Amino acid sequence: MKKTILFLSFMATTATVMAQKLTTTSAVVTFDATTPKDILPKAENKTVIGSLDKTTGAIAFEAAVNNFAFSNPTIQSHFIEAKWMNAAVFPKFTFAGKIDKLNKVKFNKNGVYDVKVSGNLTVKGITKPVSARAKVTVMDQAVSAISSFTIKLADYGITGQAIDAGKVAPEPKITISTSF
Amino acid sequence: MRFIFYMSQTTSTIILKKWLTVFFSAGLLLSFFLPWVSWDGSRVSGFGMPSGDFFHVSETRFNLANPFPKLSFSFALFWLIPALALLTTGTVFSKKKSVPFAFMAGALSLALLTVFFLFTGILVDLGVGQNVWSMLKPAAYIQALSAIGLILIAFPVKTVVPKIAWLLVGPVIAWGSFKAGEKYIMGETHTATEQVKADYTMGAEELIREFLANDTAANKKYLDKMIVVNGKATAVEVQVDSTSTIRFEDSTGSYAIFSLEKAQVDQAKKIEAGDAVSLKGVCSGSIFSDILGTTSISFKRATLNTK
Repeated sequence: MKKTILFLSFMATTATVMAQKLTTTSAVVTFDATTPKDILPKAENKTVIGSLDKTTGAIAFEAAVNNFAFSNPTIQSHFIEAKWMNAAVFPKFTFAGKIDKLNKVKFNKNGVYDVKVSGNLTVKGITKPVSARAKVTVMDQAVSAISSFTIKLADYGITGQAIDAGKVAPEPKITISTSF
Repeated sequence: MRFIFYMSQTTSTIILKKWLTVFFSAGLLLSFFLPWVSWDGSRVSGFGMPSGDFFHVSETRFNLANPFPKLSFSFALFWLIPALALLTTGTVFSKKKSVPFAFMAGALSLALLTVFFLFTGILVDLGVGQNVWSMLKPAAYIQALSAIGLILIAFPVKTVVPKIAWLLVGPVIAWGSFKAGEKYIMGETHTATEQVKADYTMGAEELIREFLANDTAANKKYLDKMIVVNGKATAVEVQVDSTSTIRFEDSTGSYAIFSLEKAQVDQAKKIEAGDAVSLKGVCSGSIFSDILGTTSISFKRATLNTK
């Protein structure tokens, strides 16, 4: 009897914890390195994996480098090669962080909440801290979020004449939008 | 007396020009077969263009294939550089007219040098080397000086205008063609998925199983390939911004996910989890998700396969 109660308690706890962690496999990340000289370095990845823990505010994303879709085939192939993102060695970008002051977000109440997210972004095997404002929307228990920020490519060891010549923005804008 | 002096001076000038022509022809000929550039350690000679080594190196080392393979035959034109250099020398010694050969050899050489220079600039843009000049080898300079010298010294042309024209014609045509090609490539878009023949057609479970069994081999086999995948949709997500994805999942939770083109959104809305669907898209390979603890295989530019 005791064992049964223990097992049921364990299952109930696990289910509660699972319910607090929201996941998605179709978050969208936009990479925009366009400049006045070149409008081509812009891509979207619509199959980004994300998670949000409603109790701790922990938030994470994983984006397959190869699944960023550019309109131009040449730019597409340049993006993944060794001198740029080196997708063969570093196949994904990752972000792991948390929502600061999570108590501002009421997950059981419809509303739009402005929050700050801080964490570590890993690109091409190099991890750097980033923080950005984000908008979290709660609508009938469904949670969605959007955030934009810039990164310095040089921080991740990505340099080159294309950046110096103004064909690729040295600080591209990254936009993440997701519905959990 | 003055006449004799004039004649001897003219004769010595002609002899000097003859030997200079031979000298520049020899320079052109020899440097054509020596390395002109060193791209990150890969040396490419002038004859690399007509022999095919130029684009072989650029493709295998830097993923830059010849954008116009159907025009590869035209590169054979550059074999004329050594041939014309030899002809120029031969005609000088046989006291025949060498000017047309010298002009054409010089112009072709300068055209080829222009292509090397501009292409090396593209590699620099991609992060190969610091600048174009640092990647040029001495033979490229010898080739340039020989070509210029051959055109300038050509005799008995006495006016400067045709010489300047022949100096410019090669680089101008090469520069114009190169820039036109570059503009074409930068304006290109992906061929619509519907119009691309599938490299593979397979079931979703079979695909996932193959990636789980050996992801390295599967990534090598399927990356960037157009694949038709058939199976029962596990999840369909349509966002308000017309973004839609369809997922096939196996019993372990690993999955293949297709990001559909925006034009497909109306059709995607009609599909529900459990429906049998056929999807076609470009495979982006797999990643292992630390968040989900499963393997994710993603596809881009996907459409519902109607064929």
